[in-house]
Amino acid sequence: MNKEGPPLELLIRRTIDTPPDFLAEPKCGARGVVHVDAIAADVAGMFGTRAPVRELVPFASPDAGARNRLTLVLLACWVVADDWFRNAGIAPTEVLRALLATATELSPHADAKSFHTDPDRREELARTLLTQLGYRPAGESLAQAQDRLVSVSAAERQRAVKATRGAAERARKIREALARKAAEESADKMWRE
Amino acid sequence: MNNELTDADRYPTLSERGRHMLGFLQQHSHAPVFRNHAGNRLTSDDLIRVNAFIAETVSAKIGWHPGKQPPWVTEFIARCYTDVPWYRVLGAVPQKLEDVRPTTRADLARDVALFVPDNVALDRLINFRTSGTTGHPLLIPSHPVVAASYLAFHKRALRRFGVELRAGRGSVGVALLGYQRQCFTYASVIPTMDEAGYVKLNLYPDDWRDADDRARYLNALKPEIFSGDPLSFAALLELPVTWKPQALVSTSMTLTPVLRARLEARFECPVLDVYSMSESGPIAVADPSAGGHMLLQHTLFVEILDEAGKLCAPGVRGEITLTGGFNFCLPLLRYRTGDYAALDFGGPEPVLTGLSGRLPVRFRAVDGTWVNSIDVNHALRDLPLRQFQLHQDASGAMQFDYDAEDVLDEAIAQRLHSLVGPLSSLTITRTRFEGTKVVQYASALTPS
Repeated sequence: MNKEGPPLELLIRRTIDTPPDFLAEPKCGARGVVHVDAIAADVAGMFGTRAPVRELVPFASPDAGARNRLTLVLLACWVVADDWFRNAGIAPTEVLRALLATATELSPHADAKSFHTDPDRREELARTLLTQLGYRPAGESLAQAQDRLVSVSAAERQRAVKATRGAAERARKIREALARKAAEESADKMWRE
Repeated sequence: MNNELTDADRYPTLSERGRHMLGFLQQHSHAPVFRNHAGNRLTSDDLIRVNAFIAETVSAKIGWHPGKQPPWVTEFIARCYTDVPWYRVLGAVPQKLEDVRPTTRADLARDVALFVPDNVALDRLINFRTSGTTGHPLLIPSHPVVAASYLAFHKRALRRFGVELRAGRGSVGVALLGYQRQCFTYASVIPTMDEAGYVKLNLYPDDWRDADDRARYLNALKPEIFSGDPLSFAALLELPVTWKPQALVSTSMTLTPVLRARLEARFECPVLDVYSMSESGPIAVADPSAGGHMLLQHTLFVEILDEAGKLCAPGVRGEITLTGGFNFCLPLLRYRTGDYAALDFGGPEPVLTGLSGRLPVRFRAVDGTWVNSIDVNHALRDLPLRQFQLHQDASGAMQFDYDAEDVLDEAIAQRLHSLVGPLSSLTITRTRFEGTKVVQYASALTPS
């Protein structure tokens, strides 16, 4: 995040304008149509050299459970293929690493399609990708960029909360209190949910 | 601290008459085998607080103008940003609710402890366990005062249908009915109703010395209200219960019009269909004459949001999103429920229209009997599952998909087999749902 990157609006606009091919179903085993490893290889090529095959292995999976993550990789491939990044001299291996890290961080907690349709998620995707590449949005100080990332990213926020004084300890005590047999025994509420 | 509760902890204000009621409920010749112990845990101070809340709630005005938030919301946002770690880390307090990023069940499932305000004492914390519709198992932090406050919404909902609770000393107020292979059951008293009796029962035959005792016991208790869900009420219809309560209150799953009509005809009383969830408590009660569900909580602000998180216009369907609530252990700030409806402002109070909630799901066991989705929740409750779904096709074959850190296939198979029998066509797959929405329970065989 130490380097100033492109304007956030540029990346958000680019996400909104994602072509249908980059929103299509990723190939996972017998399902899906887009070979995400091939797209990732093309993206790496745009940044200089052909990617070694071993670096493309995480971009393919026979497991249907990888669908959300690979859908997000595909979307991030489109965003990172912007001219601004291509002219920034980023190493292809670094681009591939950032794509994977971004998708791995964001995919467990939201439907990948929401990073295209939901304004907050679009911002989360743009900021996370920038952070993974070592940039912050143009015109923002480091502190502003960090604050904003915490506000839009659940993962960042969880990390930030637990880093504050006493919060991790209090959270541990709450989890213990909830797990006690006495808490489990509950109390009368007279209807169910 | 000693983890075991005593009766003095369970019933801190129990009088001699209350003790007599407990004895009547527990030692009746037709009583079931009560599997558990629990109580109201209310102190004298708690009682004052709960009674005041009930008095306020039953007659409070609920409403706001479309596009505007009630005045209390601004202060509520500030309190969350001061006292709740999850929000405090964001710094500056937003003045408008629309500037608050919505939270989801997935946020709570990550670590619900981060949503508990700093001022909540932990020594009386209780939990309610829920799996919801998205398959994220979750422990909801709560408190005896919160649990007792549910009565306020019972009363408000019943009043709408012309029913005033009158049960008190020497009579039974509420029988909460389940129909599950395993069910938490016990007897208690309701101190906010002058120690009227309360029982949580399982209508499943295994919980009774004689299956015929189910009807005998209910007829003997004469509860003023039967509370339950569509599955337990369907089971109730099969029993020769002659007692006519003042009302039936159905929660937890969608009550179909057919079942509602059958229950009304049989028990000759109003049958209330309440929309409720563990995270918030009771939200609304269906009122066909109003064309939808009437809200029940005067400190719960309801918004309808579209997929992009923008406010829907009145009458437009979107996701029900909640702010406020009465559970002071888990204040909700723009909490996306995963349920969908529209808000109509045509009448004196906002009405939720076109609500689509959870339909009851039953799975067919190998021996032809039925197993409820609640039983599946119960059987799997001790397994560290992040998310799961169970589907049964028309042939009876079952597919169980789960997301967990460890491989749990064997433990899951063992538990499902104990529920449905030695099913040969059970497929268990460990996967990563990775944020995708799941239909947690589905069965092509669920009877209508």
